[in-house]
Amino acid sequence: MTRLPALLILLVVFSLPVLAQQEERTDNLAKAWLEKMVWSLRNLNYQVSFVLLYPNGDFEPYTWRHALVEGEEMEHLSLLNGPGREIVRLGDKVSYFEPNVPPYSLKSDVINGPIPAELFRQPVTLGQGYDFVMVGTSRISGRLAQQLRIVSKDKSRYSYNLWLDKQTALILRLDMLDMQGEPLEQIQVTSMQVTAEPDEYFSRIETEKMPPEISPINGQSEKPDWQLEWLPTGMTEVRRSAHRLPLTGQWVDYMMLSDGMIDVSVYLQKLNAVPAENGWLQQGANTLLSLQVGDMEITVVGKLPPQTASSIAKSIRFGGPR
Amino acid sequence: MTDKKFEDLSAWMDGESNSGMIGETCSDKELSAKWQRYHLIRDGLRKELPQQLDFDISASVAKAIEAEPAILAPRKGIRDIPVIGAVVPFLRRGGQAAIAASVAAAMIIGVQQLNQPQPEQPFSSAPALQLPGMQTGGLSPVSLEQTRALPRTDAIEQKRRINAYLNDHQRQMRLKSENLQQTESDKETEQK
Repeated sequence: MTRLPALLILLVVFSLPVLAQQEERTDNLAKAWLEKMVWSLRNLNYQVSFVLLYPNGDFEPYTWRHALVEGEEMEHLSLLNGPGREIVRLGDKVSYFEPNVPPYSLKSDVINGPIPAELFRQPVTLGQGYDFVMVGTSRISGRLAQQLRIVSKDKSRYSYNLWLDKQTALILRLDMLDMQGEPLEQIQVTSMQVTAEPDEYFSRIETEKMPPEISPINGQSEKPDWQLEWLPTGMTEVRRSAHRLPLTGQWVDYMMLSDGMIDVSVYLQKLNAVPAENGWLQQGANTLLSLQVGDMEITVVGKLPPQTASSIAKSIRFGGPR
Repeated sequence: MTDKKFEDLSAWMDGESNSGMIGETCSDKELSAKWQRYHLIRDGLRKELPQQLDFDISASVAKAIEAEPAILAPRKGIRDIPVIGAVVPFLRRGGQAAIAASVAAAMIIGVQQLNQPQPEQPFSSAPALQLPGMQTGGLSPVSLEQTRALPRTDAIEQKRRINAYLNDHQRQMRLKSENLQQTESDKETEQK
């Protein structure tokens, strides 16, 4: 009779390192999949149709092409409903063609579209804020797919389910899930072709005739010495600026935070006569939260839970680090 | 012989004869006139006659075609270009309109004003809630029950400001990698 508990203890003690090892192995495996995905995204010729679904039932269909032409990447993302939006990337120049705005180009090595840009760069750096878990194989868009889960380490951000094509490791489906596991934004590929030759579409692009490159104008910050004392794990400040809001023309101090999967904007605005409105709202996956601190209004925008946005806003300190 | 011809035509119209009648009907004036009358009779019997009887539109169509000037390709205006699959003409236009640098600089202000597909509606109905007292550092819970609706002092103004922030957020995300590259190159030059 006394042997049984002892056996159990032995079993537990021996299985612990095995479990840890297994975890590490699936982590490495997941990272290998992501590495393969980046290579494929950057080097293959593919034509993909996908639909972006919003929680309120809205959806946006897209066509997405990529090709490697004489060593240079060419990419095209096109919104198929409504007046449309065309984004063309040639190497590290992204050109936007949108209704009611003259076409313009920006310097960027990725198109900032529905798929998080960091997935095209170095997804392994996401490991600072997220854990990767290998889930299993399933069938997506008529293809065999490997499912991965991307979960934030401190549970302060939304999690993701990612399905990659078994053959090419291209993205077949990406779900963003809220804290209850309900889908917020979903990307579902409906057709995918990987070809040896670049799509004929790219031969029609006249490289010299792309719109001119523009660069943002930055003003002087009114209160440059502000810090955030708390950030979610893996999230860092990527840039600061002071600029006018395009729609209202108000000057704001601006800070962008990023953990690779999401970008978060923090705005600081001096309040004049108008009192600030403390509150938050959600639009799709985006959270907007406003908070008044002294005579300043802090606004946090991004695809993160309101709790986290609130914690970021509350952690603001003026006058440099204490 | 003629009766046989008409019989064949009648049979063909009823779908009982061979298709060799097509050529014959087209070339034989008498037959084609008969063909036309048969159809008129049939339409009359079926009460399918149009309100206005234009007995022979074929002649007028032929005349109209002849009179028409030859158009090699339809001229397209800016508005006529379907956006989908037609970036190329778009690009060409963009390139031709040599935009002065000052205009380009001003453009960024206007960028993104109307390209967000769904900014209007969700906001008006979206709840604006006040947060309960929270502690800094770490995560603090936001309870929906504890929050209360915001007094709508000026709903339109609020909506405008919310849109401004969401809009700018999208714009900043686009500009992000540009700045990243800049700061990276800055760092490199600093190191040198």
